Amino acid sequence: MLERSEWYDIARDTNWTPSYVSQEALFPPEMGDPYGIPTEEWETFDEPYKVSYREYVNIQREKDSAAYSVKAALARSKFHDEADEGWACVLKLHYGAVALTEYQACQFQARMSRFGPSPAMRNMSVYGMLDELRHTQLQLFFPHELVHRDRQYDWAHEAQHSKNWAVLGGRHAMDDIMMTRDAITSSVMVSFAFETALTNLQMIGLSTDAANLGDHTFANLITSIQSDEARHAQLGTPTIEIMIRNGRKKEAQQAMDIALWRVWRLFSITVGIPMDYYIPLEQRHMSFKEFMHEWVINQWERQVQDLGLERPWYWDIFLLDIDNHHHCQQGGIWSWRPTVWWNPPGAVGPKEREWLEEKYPGWNESYGSYWDVITNNLLQGHEEKTHPQCIPIICNMCQIPISHRPGPEWGARAYQREYGERRYNFCTEVCRWIFDTDPERYKDHETIVDRMYSGEIDPPTLENVLKYMGIGVISEGGRDGHDYGWVEGFRAQAAE
Amino acid sequence: MSGDAVARNNAVGPVLRAGEVADAVVEALEEDNPGKEFTVEDRVAYVRAETEGECVVRAETVARVLGRPFKIAELEVNLSSFSGRIETTDDTMRFYFEKRL
Ligand SMILES: [Fe+2]
Ligand SMILES: [Fe+2]
Ligand SMILES: [Zn+2]
Repeated sequence: MLERSEWYDIARDTNWTPSYVSQEALFPPEMGDPYGIPTEEWETFDEPYKVSYREYVNIQREKDSAAYSVKAALARSKFHDEADEGWACVLKLHYGAVALTEYQACQFQARMSRFGPSPAMRNMSVYGMLDELRHTQLQLFFPHELVHRDRQYDWAHEAQHSKNWAVLGGRHAMDDIMMTRDAITSSVMVSFAFETALTNLQMIGLSTDAANLGDHTFANLITSIQSDEARHAQLGTPTIEIMIRNGRKKEAQQAMDIALWRVWRLFSITVGIPMDYYIPLEQRHMSFKEFMHEWVINQWERQVQDLGLERPWYWDIFLLDIDNHHHCQQGGIWSWRPTVWWNPPGAVGPKEREWLEEKYPGWNESYGSYWDVITNNLLQGHEEKTHPQCIPIICNMCQIPISHRPGPEWGARAYQREYGERRYNFCTEVCRWIFDTDPERYKDHETIVDRMYSGEIDPPTLENVLKYMGIGVISEGGRDGHDYGWVEGFRAQAAE
Repeated sequence: MSGDAVARNNAVGPVLRAGEVADAVVEALEEDNPGKEFTVEDRVAYVRAETEGECVVRAETVARVLGRPFKIAELEVNLSSFSGRIETTDDTMRFYFEKRL
């Protein structure tokens, strides 16, 4: 049999000159390449991670049969009977946020496979499309067996069809970078910024903790998924190199900057909170910050330089956000726990706080001051005081409640923009900058709070708002996953 | 970490799902990249192997270490990620940076 390299270049060269329709009709710029880079340039696209269809099918079969057989082998284990609710939260959050996002990714790959201006890109993204379909199916199937024990697992399938506030944020970002851009821009945004930089957090970051906890099914599943990502994410590098060579560095840079920030804001919640709060202390292998520094600051940023792009202009804001955003959102999500589909544990007992202080010096005098109030209320039997009576202000870009580090470094300020008929609020300069890159694109989207005032949720009573968000419909909303057990350490300390 | 934190390294290499293939690849890396120092971090579910600037994995060497036939394409099953950039040929995978810092 011929070696792959002996036939590969000919096999992937599927460009021809159309005679029945114009080139432009076959590859409309708004779907493929809006930058007008010549076809000959795109024909130099050389994907660095090559695979033939025969190899692909064999390898994927091997991956799938391993993932399903580990699951089958462990199906009778008592793992889920005995697992900590904190870990169950990791799974509920993961599946709800990820399963059908993979299906969006499948559509994004499909767009590249049809409209990509380079035949090599079209070829590789066919595999990418099949990969993402595999990810969707696995991550719908795996949680399915857990639905009978806990309805909250049903959000794996339902979340993306709901209007839960946490889903609106994810959907807004994914619609922006994956669903509504041309093949080239979204390749920079998704293949390079999302898949190369950040999917590692979700799919590898949680795997060691899963293995430490004994959830080998999940550890095996997500690292298997990531082995597909490692391949199809490579669609981004030749795209960027060709853009730079053809005078489109600025556009590539902007696409990367927008996407990194958008996906980061989500992952700091879906991975940052689990790693630093939900996973039981004994099983945590690294802090989220350490993981971010290893994988994004050291590994990905170095690739950015190698390709000839610059790190994003907001790098300093990003580094600060790594220290802060998920701590803020742990406080927020816990406080508004009835609005989510998992049971977030506060999980800030004396030992956990010691760990947080060690990993994030200054945690106690900042975030700790927020939890002090909550802890005291719980110790005094005033659970009702731990539920906020007001509505948060939501960022008009990331759709996440606007928050800041509490305590002595309090630096809260409003980032606003007047545009057209209204005022928009943003969490940071970065979200506002993204809005400014194309206000017409973003202006009509309403945050969950906008919807309470615009009549979309009518009347905006607590009961109606929860129902609008799928709470009490798809499953019950969240409660403290440890039934406030984490405050007992402080009671014991006080008694001593 | 200062506000200016930035990657000043040339570390490249595979991140592998823990298991016999990962162990064999680490052994093969050392054999196929003479004179190179590798750091190997075992993270229970995965193993990160890294060296300076460039390294190559050869299917032939992995096969010999494993004691069974092994095609380079099979490495994908266990290759969850990597640092640096990648280049694949019929029987090798190379991790590298174009620019050295
Ligand atoms: Fe995926
Ligand atoms: Fe992907
Ligand atoms: Zn924002």
